[in-house]
Amino acid sequence: MSLLSVRNLLSVRDLSVGYESPGAVAVPAVKGVSFELAQGEFVGLVGESGSGKSTLGLAITRLAKAPARITGGSILFDGTDIAALSAENLRSQRRGGFAMVPQSGMNSLNPVRTVRDHFYDIFRAHGHVSVHDRLTRARELVGKVELPATVLDRYPGELSGGMRQRATIALALSLEPRLMVFDEPTTALDVLVQQAVMATIRQLQKAENFTAVLISHDLGIVLETTQRVMVMHDGAIVEDAPSRDILLRPQHEYTRMLLSHYGDPRADVVSVPGIESRAPEAGSAATASRPTRSAREGRAALETLVVDGVSKVYPRPRRGEQPVTAVNDVSFSLEPGQSMALVGASGSGKSTIAKLITGVERPTSGSIVFGDLRVDAIRRRDLKRLHREVQMVFQDPYTALNPLHSVEYILTRPVLNYSTLRGADARRRVLELLDTVGLTPVEQFAAKLPHQLSGGQRQRVVIARALASDPQVIIADEPVSMLDVSLRAGVLALLENLRQTFGVSMLYITHDLLSARLVTDQIMVLNRGSVVESGETSSVLRNPRDEYTIRLLDAVPNPGRADVA
Amino acid sequence: MTDTTIKKTFASRRGTAPLLMLGRAFAALWSSGKARIGLVILGLFVLVAIFAPLLAPYSATDNSFTRGDSGSPAHLLGTTGAGEDVLSQLLYGTRISLFVGIAAGTLATLVAVLVGLSWGYARTLVGDVINFVVNLFLVIPALPLMIVIAAYLHDGGIGMIVLVVVITGWATGARVLRSQTQTLRSRDFVTAAVFSGESSARVVFREILPNMTSLIAGSFLASAVGAILGEAGLEFLGLGDVNTVSWGTMLFWAQNSNAMLTGQWVLLFAPGLCIALLAASLALINFGVDGLSNPRLREGATR
Repeated sequence: MSLLSVRNLLSVRDLSVGYESPGAVAVPAVKGVSFELAQGEFVGLVGESGSGKSTLGLAITRLAKAPARITGGSILFDGTDIAALSAENLRSQRRGGFAMVPQSGMNSLNPVRTVRDHFYDIFRAHGHVSVHDRLTRARELVGKVELPATVLDRYPGELSGGMRQRATIALALSLEPRLMVFDEPTTALDVLVQQAVMATIRQLQKAENFTAVLISHDLGIVLETTQRVMVMHDGAIVEDAPSRDILLRPQHEYTRMLLSHYGDPRADVVSVPGIESRAPEAGSAATASRPTRSAREGRAALETLVVDGVSKVYPRPRRGEQPVTAVNDVSFSLEPGQSMALVGASGSGKSTIAKLITGVERPTSGSIVFGDLRVDAIRRRDLKRLHREVQMVFQDPYTALNPLHSVEYILTRPVLNYSTLRGADARRRVLELLDTVGLTPVEQFAAKLPHQLSGGQRQRVVIARALASDPQVIIADEPVSMLDVSLRAGVLALLENLRQTFGVSMLYITHDLLSARLVTDQIMVLNRGSVVESGETSSVLRNPRDEYTIRLLDAVPNPGRADVA
Repeated sequence: MTDTTIKKTFASRRGTAPLLMLGRAFAALWSSGKARIGLVILGLFVLVAIFAPLLAPYSATDNSFTRGDSGSPAHLLGTTGAGEDVLSQLLYGTRISLFVGIAAGTLATLVAVLVGLSWGYARTLVGDVINFVVNLFLVIPALPLMIVIAAYLHDGGIGMIVLVVVITGWATGARVLRSQTQTLRSRDFVTAAVFSGESSARVVFREILPNMTSLIAGSFLASAVGAILGEAGLEFLGLGDVNTVSWGTMLFWAQNSNAMLTGQWVLLFAPGLCIALLAASLALINFGVDGLSNPRLREGATR
């Protein structure tokens, strides 16, 4: 038995994978990687986007497709080099061999077939389950991922994201794999659901004793789950050590950088690199040192945004269903220069509130007042006046910029629309905006098209566009959730810095309590459209009273927690 | 940076942009093998249309030759029953087909773009009215309507034919473009443009429209093919001006003089083949339009 447990199930030697498209230079994604996986081990593979972690995961399960190609090295799975296997041998190897739960696993089910059909397809292809045992086996498999047997008769569209991801895991299990690769299995899921799915994966791995690789960008989740962690950076494994050592004695600079971006939102003092620590009493500091802005000359004085008893009810989606109450009797006011967090899981109504405040949608009842504007009943021609003062930073920087317009065009438009600057003056203002958000050299960035920019750079352009009208209020809807951990701090620090320099007030919408703790003074916790808790960010998060807030806090991945407990 | 250099970069950028875009569009089309064949065939027809007077051995309306000649060194494709040179008629006829194709295609696309985009973007009652009108045009059988309108505006010439083709051809394009506008309308960058203070017209034509270039190009090519075929059909039925020289009227006169019975199959075959080739060239170009609105595809696959 002890001999078996030390035996290596997978042994990767000098593996290189490159992307080769015709007419372009080959791009190496994985560069000479070597590692061993023992039977029954749970290993994490951590890295940021572009580090090659998914490419490596696809390569060791031989799922890599053109233009990706294994350019060198060997992958020994139980003594066989699978890098050189033929397609048919590979197919039969999949049973009792290696399986993968893909990144968008929840979308990898065929929408026109029931979950049962998916299982039967696999049983038929491998013939390892006799025809009359099929139903029993399928029931057993969905039971393992804690789904009721009734899901077998459902279509994927009838299941929630978490249920679909569980079904995908059960499908991967149906071939009794000895190696399972989970590629970001919970990235697209809500925080609370993510926690539950990860718990299932952990239990499953213990019970079935398969070897597992968890690929993730989130070091917190990986450290909570796995025994050993491999950190990937730029196509190479820079650190490979037991989870405890990674947490307590990180060797590589890159690992240390990743670790430094985690923290406990409940701690007394929270800081990450690039953002100054906030003292518990920081609430009053920002309002006390409100700067005067020269750019605001001749414009209306700073106004308070008052939201009073606002509800939004959407008509029932289908006959026989109840109307959806997205926002239920929410009241708050956003003072000039204040920063307020709006937190909650998906479906809690945070984004609907953003739409109501910006006049995109109208509330069913209640009033929203900004200065002399009644936002809840705003007329079309007043919208421009509102948007001059209330601007928005979008969640996904990849869809918020028109792919066909240059950065200069994108920033010039609001400058022309909202100011009297023209020609060379307008251009100077555009370059100044780029400089404000730290995109230098400005001349170069002005000429670029969105696809030539990284995610973090795009988000800076989005922020610059929001600043172009010199607004009083910025609504940031999950501005960093699509960005890599190392870029998040930079964008958050920028928002915080802008708020302090220009006296802009900010409504920060997020599900990430750590970032809320870092950049806001006030917080409102939303659950199913209602405010369940509000107050000063530091005191609410340190002494949460509502059960929902506590659940949200518990769901924050924290590398230190497993150790402390 | 000084004012003058700023102005200079501004001016130079404005001057080159449209040319650059045209060049890029052409390069995107050229990079597809099928579209390249289509472009070559279309190019040949355009050259023939421009240089018809130089290429044609005789005038197209000169009927002083032996009637019903079935091919000789002086008349390579023979002469018609009225004594005109077939090759000259064929070369001159290119002008009409090409003109009708481009003019009717452009006009039908223009109507489709204007209707489809405003209809897709606006969320008002006007939408229901447009919906009714478009559906009306979609369910009316095109050929009978064309015949009725053409018969009503009898002998209106080429302009009439263009008008008839546009009236019957814009609705499909409008519906396709409306669907795409509705998908694009909810994208973040469109919402962002509204936040940037852009007017509705600007949002529609500067943010949404450029992202539909390939759809619009496809819609134009389909309308042009429809127009070329429609024109030939109407003229063949004798509903156009029978005195103009076009491929359609050539077919009309060939049918009238019973060309098949007299063994002069070339009279029907030659214009028929030209119509088919021209329509096919446009259809082939349609294969290459996918790369038009994706800047990443344009730059030659860097990722």
